[in-house]
Amino acid sequence: MKENDERVPDPIVELRHATLGYGKKVILKDISLSIRDGDFFGLVGPNGSGKTTLLRAILGTIAPLSGEVLRRESGFRAGYVPQRGNVNDILPFTSGEVVMMGRLRNIGLFRSPAASDKQAVRESLSSVGIEHLVDTPFNNLSGGQKQRVLIARALASHPTILILDEPTNGMDLPSRWVTLALIRKLHDEQRLTVILVTHLLDDVASLVKSIALMDQQNFQVGEVGSVLTEKNLSAMYQMPIQVRNLEGARIISPGEADGNR
Amino acid sequence: METGEIIRLILEEFPLALAGSILAGVMCAFIGVYIVAKRVVFLGAVMTQLSVLGLSITFLPFIPLPHTVGSLAITLLAVAFLSKWLAGKTVPGDAVLGVVFCAAIALRILVLQKSPRVEVSEVDNLLRGDILFVSPDLFIILLIVFAAMVILHLLFYKQFSSVTFDAETATAQGMIAGIWDSVLYMSAAVAIAVATHLVGDVFVFGFLVVPPVTGLLLARRVKQVFAFSVAVGAIAPALGLFLAFVIDVPASPMIVAVASVFLVAAWLIRATRQS
Repeated sequence: MKENDERVPDPIVELRHATLGYGKKVILKDISLSIRDGDFFGLVGPNGSGKTTLLRAILGTIAPLSGEVLRRESGFRAGYVPQRGNVNDILPFTSGEVVMMGRLRNIGLFRSPAASDKQAVRESLSSVGIEHLVDTPFNNLSGGQKQRVLIARALASHPTILILDEPTNGMDLPSRWVTLALIRKLHDEQRLTVILVTHLLDDVASLVKSIALMDQQNFQVGEVGSVLTEKNLSAMYQMPIQVRNLEGARIISPGEADGNR
Repeated sequence: METGEIIRLILEEFPLALAGSILAGVMCAFIGVYIVAKRVVFLGAVMTQLSVLGLSITFLPFIPLPHTVGSLAITLLAVAFLSKWLAGKTVPGDAVLGVVFCAAIALRILVLQKSPRVEVSEVDNLLRGDILFVSPDLFIILLIVFAAMVILHLLFYKQFSSVTFDAETATAQGMIAGIWDSVLYMSAAVAIAVATHLVGDVFVFGFLVVPPVTGLLLARRVKQVFAFSVAVGAIAPALGLFLAFVIDVPASPMIVAVASVFLVAAWLIRATRQS
């Protein structure tokens, strides 16, 4: 036995040769990946590549058609942030009421929210910097503010893993930056494991530690540097892609790739 | 007749009509908030026509069921199947609802054509909701359904509001959103079936939509949406019934017309607020 044996922690969630889909329709084949404590994981691919399906398998809302999806028995508590467009905000729920929905699992079937639930709501709103919007109707908020409320709702259940589906979709540039900075802050300060799903490479290229790059034919997973190469990206998008480093940030743009980087 | 005389006549001769239409109005206005919020207004129209079909079938000689049972059975059965068909991806959901809507109306006409049990006027009155002649038995059924609805929706408000706002996240949190949606739709189906027998399809569909939209226009909080909707659901039937006597017109359309006046007023109030 080695003296300095570094022990790799058990994965929070692990897919082993999983085939995913709905009914008889296969969306993703033979997927293997594992997410560990403290990971900041990006799931990137073009629209229709099966990202949401993979996310649902990780969350456990769909079962694999074959293979295995294993979630850690203790300590897998997912806080889920859906795409903003999937939320139905016709009714004027306040931000506080929306965040309280994140406490349903804790509140139980027949009980009313307790003082601890109200405290959790306040803390969650505070951690995303919008405690002053607690009584504002969700449907009156800007896109960026709505996203913060949805993140606060996910945090209200005290998750061990935060899963965000296209959190910057449809946002202007400042809101996008602010939202990504907030996600980074939650990962750094609260040591949250984060899975960030996006079709926007720029969102994750300089943010996450490990990444899965996927389309319907390919699935590559690993450290950002080894996956986000010009060769991989050019093959996936079927056009020349350049990857450059600028003061520590990865810049991805169309252009002549040298095919090796 | 003078105002006092009409009010006395309604209270003394038609107390069940008044109480029944208020209960049906409140119940439809409450459940209608979910119907409107979930953008399934057409489903409300379909459920109303299905319950009318259920009523019609009980006029066939070989189906000796009480009218309310027929209405409930067909509506619940169809809603159970509809929830599966609507989830399919081959045919769009609104097309499925359109097909069921047309089929329910066509079947009702065919069924009644071949029913020898009653006069056409009797069938017509029953299907349109003969508000003035509510039987005590039917009123008691309505009262029981109303009480059950109040208990169900008070107990599970959190769950129903959560699946209405975001079913996907509710599922991710461990709620079985599909089941809560089904419970919600089944409760709507029961309310619609019983109310349709009592007050007719125009009233029921009108009150599934008009009071909730009034509430949405006026309210700044979800609970206020329910409160405004239920208030219109309670006031419009009483006022509509009174006006139907005053100007001698059928009660159901008059009640829906009164509710629509509230809706227009709400829209004007909102427009004034915004300007």
